[in-house]
Amino acid sequence: MKELEKLLERIIQRININLRELEYDVSPFIKNLVPLHQMVKFYAFYGITPNHPLDLVFRHSSLAGSYFLGKIRTRNSILYKSDIRGDELKQKGDVFQYQKFEIPITRDEGIDIEDSFLIKTLVHNFSHDPETLEKFFIRDTVSTHYANIHGSPIDGCFLGPFATVDLTSMRDCVIGTFSYVQAGEVGHLNVSPGTVWVRNPDEFNFLYRHPLNKLNHYINFIAGRLPQGFLMDFVDDRKEGFQRVFNAVNLEQSFPVPSNASLDRYAVIKPKTHISENVLVAQRAYLQNAWLGKGANAQENCYIINSRLEGCNVTAHGAKIIEADLGKNIFVGFNSFLRGRADSRLTIGNESIIMPHTIIDIKKPLTIPPEHLVWGLITNSQELASNSMTLKDFSKINNGLIKGNMSFEGNGAGFVTAFRERIHHILEANGAFFDGNKNRGHAQKNQNISFNTIQPYPDGKLQGLYPAIVIQP
Amino acid sequence: MSDYLVKELMVPLSEYATVLEGSTLFDAVLALEKAQEEFDHTKYKHRGVLILDKNKRVIGKLGQLDVLRALEPKNEDSGKIKELSQFGFSYNFVHKIRKQRRLKAAPLKDLCSKASKLKVEDFMQAPSEGEFIEEEASLEMAIMQLVMGRHISLLVTRGKDIIGILRMTDAFAAVFHTMKECEN
Repeated sequence: MKELEKLLERIIQRININLRELEYDVSPFIKNLVPLHQMVKFYAFYGITPNHPLDLVFRHSSLAGSYFLGKIRTRNSILYKSDIRGDELKQKGDVFQYQKFEIPITRDEGIDIEDSFLIKTLVHNFSHDPETLEKFFIRDTVSTHYANIHGSPIDGCFLGPFATVDLTSMRDCVIGTFSYVQAGEVGHLNVSPGTVWVRNPDEFNFLYRHPLNKLNHYINFIAGRLPQGFLMDFVDDRKEGFQRVFNAVNLEQSFPVPSNASLDRYAVIKPKTHISENVLVAQRAYLQNAWLGKGANAQENCYIINSRLEGCNVTAHGAKIIEADLGKNIFVGFNSFLRGRADSRLTIGNESIIMPHTIIDIKKPLTIPPEHLVWGLITNSQELASNSMTLKDFSKINNGLIKGNMSFEGNGAGFVTAFRERIHHILEANGAFFDGNKNRGHAQKNQNISFNTIQPYPDGKLQGLYPAIVIQP
Repeated sequence: MSDYLVKELMVPLSEYATVLEGSTLFDAVLALEKAQEEFDHTKYKHRGVLILDKNKRVIGKLGQLDVLRALEPKNEDSGKIKELSQFGFSYNFVHKIRKQRRLKAAPLKDLCSKASKLKVEDFMQAPSEGEFIEEEASLEMAIMQLVMGRHISLLVTRGKDIIGILRMTDAFAAVFHTMKECEN
């Protein structure tokens, strides 16, 4: 295990060098976050499909419990139960539109992870940085439990638990626990926990800060301790279901799935779940008594429990929906936590947008009317009033608005349009609009995936590390 | 070189407003008032107070801006507003929020009454490396330090001791005088 220990030290040193300007030392946070002996316990696995490139190269890395699909390189890195999903990478011949430029893609894009430590992290989408279109890199970076690195090349960053970096090139930043950043390009920033920041320079700027005293109940992270709070307890309480699907070599599909829908064999499906046409259920999703209408999707680390989604719903990576009834075309953003109660259900009207990292946790029934934009932390109807607006009203903002902990500057209509276009794109990419002929997406392309497993050295100096492995057609 | 030396232009420490560490802002304002009354060498009045430790060594300067800063309403929003520019919000937007917050804050009288009890060391500025100048230095050197460091005064030293303060107004008065001489 000596080599693995050395590797962790090397990663810590490299990220600390990057974060020296912020005077941030990651070592007390990550030293014992995952005991290294865990790295031997779990196999890594990769998917083979006729629809995605198979080009994997692993060197001097530990990959315990992690999943790989597409073109991926890892070097001098530790990945623990992370999903590196390369099914939306650009391909040779594509043309990338950036401002007035149309940039041809000259070779297949790959995810390149070097000198990094990713814990239960999802990596997905493609690099949006016009300067590095063929390489979606993650360098000198540590990301902790349930972080999302989505379409964001990053270098020298630390991501706290449940942090998301989305469509943003990022250098030398600390992204606090449960913070969401979608800002194009940022560097040398220390973003406090519970920040939700969506910025398109010269167009709009949205900033919300969760009240920390309340957020701490859901998630908090102190140096030397594991992440704590209700969100961690919630996930831990359902761990057993995943152990079963990961331990079994062959799993019988126990209930019907339409031929144009996709249910990943590494998802947990509990009784009374219904999957309609064009539905996508990704690995590590958890469904229990969940009714998913046509074109709905449940992405990685989603939990949908005792809930009904009418159709074309996007449940983004890490979102959780419990005891809720959602109409059609509703977007629930990354890592959002929506919890009604058996006798006090949460109802959300058609076309509403629940911003990433929103928490709705109610004890009395609550209804969000159709076409609303919702953000922040909401436990009752008063808080809903101060943390939501109709999309129509929001579109009327043309200067600035401050509402509770939310600040918005710029063009409200531009903001709403950007969200709507993105939701449409996600549904399209996931295959929600497949008509039997056109508009194939992940729900259709990911149906027949073969999974192969790979294992680390079981003992000795290299214990926990994987030998150099090249997997190509 | 000019004919002026720093020691000829400075205000000696004994004539400048000083208070001991641990004093309140109100003590500092009273000390400033007293020093201004007693000091009539020029039409330019003192605009700051020096903070001394128990050994009578200068540990900081308290300017008018520092006192005004103490009047700014403080609550948990202060930090958040400060951070808005870091997140790319425009000057106008941040200014608008500050204005709204100011309008909601307590009246000036209440803010003054609260601020007068605050300790000077919480608002003073510790002198930086470029804020010291030897008493034998020339006016040119003093001007260079004032301009480069954007200081409003320099602490004048003799060996290890601070013996006075050279204010920007003192340097300016000397320059003004020289200009007039050149023209005549």
